[in-house]
Amino acid sequence: MSGIAAGRLAEERKHWRKDHPFGFIAKPVKNADGTLNLFNWECAIPGRKDTIWEGGLYRIRMLFKDDFPSTPPKCKFEPPLFHPNVYPSGTVCLSLLDENKDWKPSISIKQLLIGIQDLLNNPNIEDPAQAEAYQIYCQNRVEYEKRVKKEALKYGAEAVQKQMLG
Amino acid sequence: MSSDDEIHMDDSDSDQEEIDDACLSDDDGIALESHEQTSKDYRDNAEPENEVLSHDQLEMEMKKTIADVQAVLQVKTGTCRILLHKYKWNKESLLERFYEHPDTTAFLIDAQVIPRHTETLPVGESECDICCMVSGLSGLSCNHRACTPCWISYLTNKIVEGGQSEIECMAANCKLLIEDEKVMHYITDPTVIASYRRLIVASYVETNRLLKWCPGVDCGKAVRVAHCEPRLVVCSCGSRFCFSCGNDWHEPVNCRLLKLWMKKCSDDSETSNWINANTKECPKCMITIEKDGGCNHMTCKNTACRFEFCWMCLGPWEPHGSSWYNCNRFDDSVAKTARDAQEVSRANLQRYLFYYNRYMGHQQSLRLEGKLYASVKTKMEQMQTQSMSWIEVQFLRKAVDILSECRRTLMFTYAFAFYLKRDNNSIIFETNQKDLEMETEQLSGFLERDMDQENLVTLKQKVQDKYRYVEHRRKILLDHCAEGAEQDLWVFNE
Repeated sequence: MSGIAAGRLAEERKHWRKDHPFGFIAKPVKNADGTLNLFNWECAIPGRKDTIWEGGLYRIRMLFKDDFPSTPPKCKFEPPLFHPNVYPSGTVCLSLLDENKDWKPSISIKQLLIGIQDLLNNPNIEDPAQAEAYQIYCQNRVEYEKRVKKEALKYGAEAVQKQMLG
Repeated sequence: MSSDDEIHMDDSDSDQEEIDDACLSDDDGIALESHEQTSKDYRDNAEPENEVLSHDQLEMEMKKTIADVQAVLQVKTGTCRILLHKYKWNKESLLERFYEHPDTTAFLIDAQVIPRHTETLPVGESECDICCMVSGLSGLSCNHRACTPCWISYLTNKIVEGGQSEIECMAANCKLLIEDEKVMHYITDPTVIASYRRLIVASYVETNRLLKWCPGVDCGKAVRVAHCEPRLVVCSCGSRFCFSCGNDWHEPVNCRLLKLWMKKCSDDSETSNWINANTKECPKCMITIEKDGGCNHMTCKNTACRFEFCWMCLGPWEPHGSSWYNCNRFDDSVAKTARDAQEVSRANLQRYLFYYNRYMGHQQSLRLEGKLYASVKTKMEQMQTQSMSWIEVQFLRKAVDILSECRRTLMFTYAFAFYLKRDNNSIIFETNQKDLEMETEQLSGFLERDMDQENLVTLKQKVQDKYRYVEHRRKILLDHCAEGAEQDLWVFNE
């Protein structure tokens, strides 16, 4: 599907601007000359209501390759997030983001962000990506929830929104 | 399972023969000949039979199974293949489930061959969801549609990069598997089509319990057995391997222990050797310590321990004080306990290395004795110039064959012995092993050294006697092991 990445990404942006889920942010970064770099998106995912993640807005970067949508984008929390399925580098480990697992070319940016939001409160214990959050999650659920709530406070929605949207 | 197999035999015997006959008559004669050749070879070696199938034969056989099921289920060939794949190519099990299931549609939805939801098609022209361009859209029975270039590139990517033969619909939440006809409809590149056909045959072999790829280098054939069990199978390329685990045939050790053993060998042996030669354990915390200076006054670097001890006697350092150079505390009870503890941990390591070295020794001999085939060939030619006929000199090749077999068996007896707990049976086993090993060395000696000296008739006599005897001993050892496995006599430490 080479050569169609830019067109598809432009279309994704159009769709997003027309309609996107409440509280989410997704926008391509600006190049030095003021044009848009469609292959690098700055996004943010709000913690879902009535979960321990509520109140936080978590920044995540999406990096697309030339062969998108044959291959999924790389999604990376910046800064790295305390979560069993997030690598210490911030990269998200999710079957939806794996070319050989559940990734399909028809999946939209919106679907990806909602998928990751869903992962926040439903970690996959089969596929741990960082030792710290995984161990605490398995051994001491109370401590885990405390840590997550601290993250939610640290990345309070309003402050992050202000940072990103200026 | 065995009753299933019988039913299968009864049901399909007659028509299978018919089809086989038909295939043979209009097929080229080569396949037939090679088949006869291989089965004759097995008889010569008195080995259990297994069938060797080439890629084309596999494909033919697969198509026949599909056709059988298709006649009953009345679905498309590609759909039928996916269904059989789901049921590991056991057509009885598929048909049984199909008829048992109260709701045929639900059954087919679960098998991902018909869509769970069907989209309503939009009116008028619409754009492709993937590339966002307006062009002729087409799709599957679920009505998920895309333009032809996007389908081609999706399928090509899944086949070439993903190596998949069962491919889901491109739409995000649609689990429908794309039938072969549809894949072939979109794909036009002959190399991709060829890859896809290969993948289909590969998935046929890999999911089928009675088939296994030959692990031989560049072989590409598969073997078929009547029952799935760990046993020796022989490919027409000469590979001899275990049907169950695909490794070299490893009797008497079983697949599970062999796997443990090989893992242990690849993880541990070099490290263990080094640890054994260069380190001791701290007498207090048992951490492994390397001595990196000349002084025998050791301080354990484990921060939780910090024990000070003497490298020589392993007793605490304190009593040594100033009189170290006269240290003769052999009876000192503290130091003696420490040394005893050390000995236990060392003994385990020594034990492993003992078996490992013998295992590797036979493996190496096996490799080196491969060269014997060349020297034996020369000898055989030479003997034929001196009054012996071709048939009379064949015993030499046979002797090398048997020698290799004995080496291989001996090699695996050491993996077996490593896990074996000592009891009366293990003593019998070790006696058998000792006997086989000794005799094998003698046979090896004959073939390596004595070939030039003897007069031909005595040489032949000696070699033949010896190889008959070792072969006999090998059989006894293996029979004893097999008997023990059958009666559950072996006790393993793991």
